[in-house]
Amino acid sequence: MALIDLTDLSYDYPNTCGLASLSLTINPGEFVCLMGPNGSGKSTLLRLLSGLATATQGTYHFNQQLVDSGYLADAVKRQQLHQQIGMVFQNTDVQLFNPTVAEEVAFGPQQLGLSPSEVTKRINDCLALTRSADLRDRVPYQLSGGEKKRVALASVLALNPQVLLLDEPLNGLTIAAQQQMLTLLQQLQAAGKTIIMASHNFQQVQPVGQRFLIFNADHQVTADVTASELATLPDLQAQLMTL
Amino acid sequence: MIPNPKTELPNWLQRPTPPTKIRRRYSRQFLAHNQRRLRHLLRRLAQPAPVVTSNWHLSAQAKLLRLGLMLGLIASVQSPSWLWLLGLMLGIQLMLLPPRQLRYFGRHWLLDCLVAGLVVLPSYWLAGPTTVLFFGLKTSLMLAQALHFRLTTPFAAILTGLKAWHCPNVIIMTLAIAMIYLRMLGQYLLQTTEAMDLRLVAPARHPYHLIGALFGNLYLKSYTYALELYAAMEARGFNGQYVKATATNRWRDYLAVSPSLLLMGLWLFGGHYFGIN
Amino acid sequence: MHIPDNYLSPATCGTLVTAMVPIWTVAVLKVKVQLKRQRETLPMLGIAASLAFLIMMFNLPIPGGTTAHAVGGTLLAVLIGPWAACLALTVTLFLQALLFGDGGILAFGANALNMAVIMPFVGYACYRLGQKWHHPKVGLAIGAYLGINTAALVAGIELGLQPLIAHTASGAPLYCPYGLNIAVPAMLGAHLLVAGWVEVGFTLLVYQFVQKVAPTSLYQTAPKTSQRRWLGLLLGLAILTPLGLLASNTAWGEWGPSELKHLLAQQHLAAQVPQGMAHGFHFQALFSDYAIAGLPVSLGYILSALTAIVIFGLLIRGLQHDPQPKN
Repeated sequence: MALIDLTDLSYDYPNTCGLASLSLTINPGEFVCLMGPNGSGKSTLLRLLSGLATATQGTYHFNQQLVDSGYLADAVKRQQLHQQIGMVFQNTDVQLFNPTVAEEVAFGPQQLGLSPSEVTKRINDCLALTRSADLRDRVPYQLSGGEKKRVALASVLALNPQVLLLDEPLNGLTIAAQQQMLTLLQQLQAAGKTIIMASHNFQQVQPVGQRFLIFNADHQVTADVTASELATLPDLQAQLMTL
Repeated sequence: MIPNPKTELPNWLQRPTPPTKIRRRYSRQFLAHNQRRLRHLLRRLAQPAPVVTSNWHLSAQAKLLRLGLMLGLIASVQSPSWLWLLGLMLGIQLMLLPPRQLRYFGRHWLLDCLVAGLVVLPSYWLAGPTTVLFFGLKTSLMLAQALHFRLTTPFAAILTGLKAWHCPNVIIMTLAIAMIYLRMLGQYLLQTTEAMDLRLVAPARHPYHLIGALFGNLYLKSYTYALELYAAMEARGFNGQYVKATATNRWRDYLAVSPSLLLMGLWLFGGHYFGIN
Repeated sequence: MHIPDNYLSPATCGTLVTAMVPIWTVAVLKVKVQLKRQRETLPMLGIAASLAFLIMMFNLPIPGGTTAHAVGGTLLAVLIGPWAACLALTVTLFLQALLFGDGGILAFGANALNMAVIMPFVGYACYRLGQKWHHPKVGLAIGAYLGINTAALVAGIELGLQPLIAHTASGAPLYCPYGLNIAVPAMLGAHLLVAGWVEVGFTLLVYQFVQKVAPTSLYQTAPKTSQRRWLGLLLGLAILTPLGLLASNTAWGEWGPSELKHLLAQQHLAAQVPQGMAHGFHFQALFSDYAIAGLPVSLGYILSALTAIVIFGLLIRGLQHDPQPKN
């Protein structure tokens, strides 16, 4: 049963196209990498999936429910969607708005009405998983770029979403931190989470990705291949290397 | 779902969280409402109202002068025939707009007038119909004049216009920075509200705390921007000059401003010399 | 609180812009001093202006389902210093008037006085007092509340004075049709009951956040403070402005020699007769009670325009960058 089902989805910005006619199904537990040059529509797709924007044309079903402007206008439905889909922004600056890292991670669980002990447990677990326990009492505003990425992921994980949307999550991380984050994402996928990650660095994501959607500069998806299929297509691999 | 033995994930993360029951409350809608407003602002800043490029191209300083003169005149005159004359002049200016622009103008102008009219309506019972009518006429003329100016003058031109009027560089630079960063901070604010929205999985208990965090962060961000901008300005050898006034077609400017100047002169001296005030 | 065009008479607008000129001059001089300590203040002025713009456009929820917006005058004064806040808010108001049609272009001086001067300075003065008595937050809350309400009161007075100083011979108001008895309670009521508390909540929470997260980025006062003198001057100006409005009215009455009065009144009447329609609205009719028409009004306008130009010229001269000696 498909978790995400897109039919003929398009999105237009006031002057330009953001995404051109995309049809796609994603099943629970998949690890999908969105590849393509800057401005090719990866971030637009993530915004549509998270419910931050609604398609100009076409339909988007999440868990068999049509997500459109009417659905999103309903505060309760919108919040339920946000419980199931978590997103790490490309610019993580905008995502961290609390006075301390611990409060940042606690923000989501507190909304859910969990008990204080449960909230504390989630904070500890998430910070440990993202290897940012030492940042606990720091001010998010003063963290480095890589630290912000880790804290942002921790704060999204604390909500335990079913789907994780990540927009260039590896940018600004050291090689070791990139490896740790990819390992964590693999673990999350193994635990049944669906992961959709945008990147333009093929070398980074090749080891973990199981399915690759390749966007071109005209905001279209030119290829939708599994990792094993991609291994048999050296031309496409070479093309992805030069993104 | 079978927990994967290989993972070191905590238990709660391996089970899906059951959806929480959500109570309806008003407090969350304000984010969505403000997001709409911010998007509208950003759209406007990204593509300022399509500027007319007629062959009758006026310099911004001439437009600024004309705007000032016309507004001053409309505010000062107190006879319907004068207002009529001024309205006529405005009408001629509007004739130069392309049809699409004119329709845009019409829509916005009517809306502005409606709002202004509602505010002044209660005075109908206080001061009588003529006052309200006259006040409404004058206000709508002033609104039209200002809207016409906004429609035909891009922001960059206002800066050159101010420069041509010998406005100090500090002020011009501050205005330019304010416009550029209005867009950047607006974008930042919009994205933060979106990020907040995504993690507001239940009604916020204290929406005002969110607002404190929102604008506290925005201030800190603007402070960072200011430090970066200052460093960049120094690195590029900033010398206090910001905009250069461009040479423009002078006689056209004089010609375009002359009717309003003439009317202003007529209004000031008309009563005395010609008895037509 | 943005006063639109046509609510204030041109004379009021002119007076208030003229009143703002010395304030702006002092603000620029004070900010120049501040620049020596904190060099990033220069770009901060522009950025703070855009911040103020966003604060004013952000709708805050108030119980009951409606919304209001904060102005942030007090908050900005505390964050970047009162003089810098004055300049930043002036730029915001200028942008709003010229580019977004929010607030009048002619009424710019009035709006600047209310929101860029009275609000930040009243708020900041209270904050400093609170700081002195070791309760800066209490001072800030009182400052935010008093700041916005004082500004609203002054706006109400500016509006409410219009029917008194500009009306036809029959007493019909030429500009804002609401007198003091309506304008002041309407402006003040809304702000005392709702907008003031919104401002307090907003100011306190943002201040608290910034203080907790980055206390060093709050405005630090100069070690040697001569603040009180400036504040005194400013308050004096603020008090004088409405008085000046009233005074300008009586001053007109004392100018003209009686022969001229007679002559002009006759001429004025002659011009009046053919325009039956115009009768009730004639501007000179306002002054005809004092039997002054035509020339003194025109002369007065020209003189005020010239004065404004000279003052602006002086201001601009004073602000220009001195030629850098070439090394």
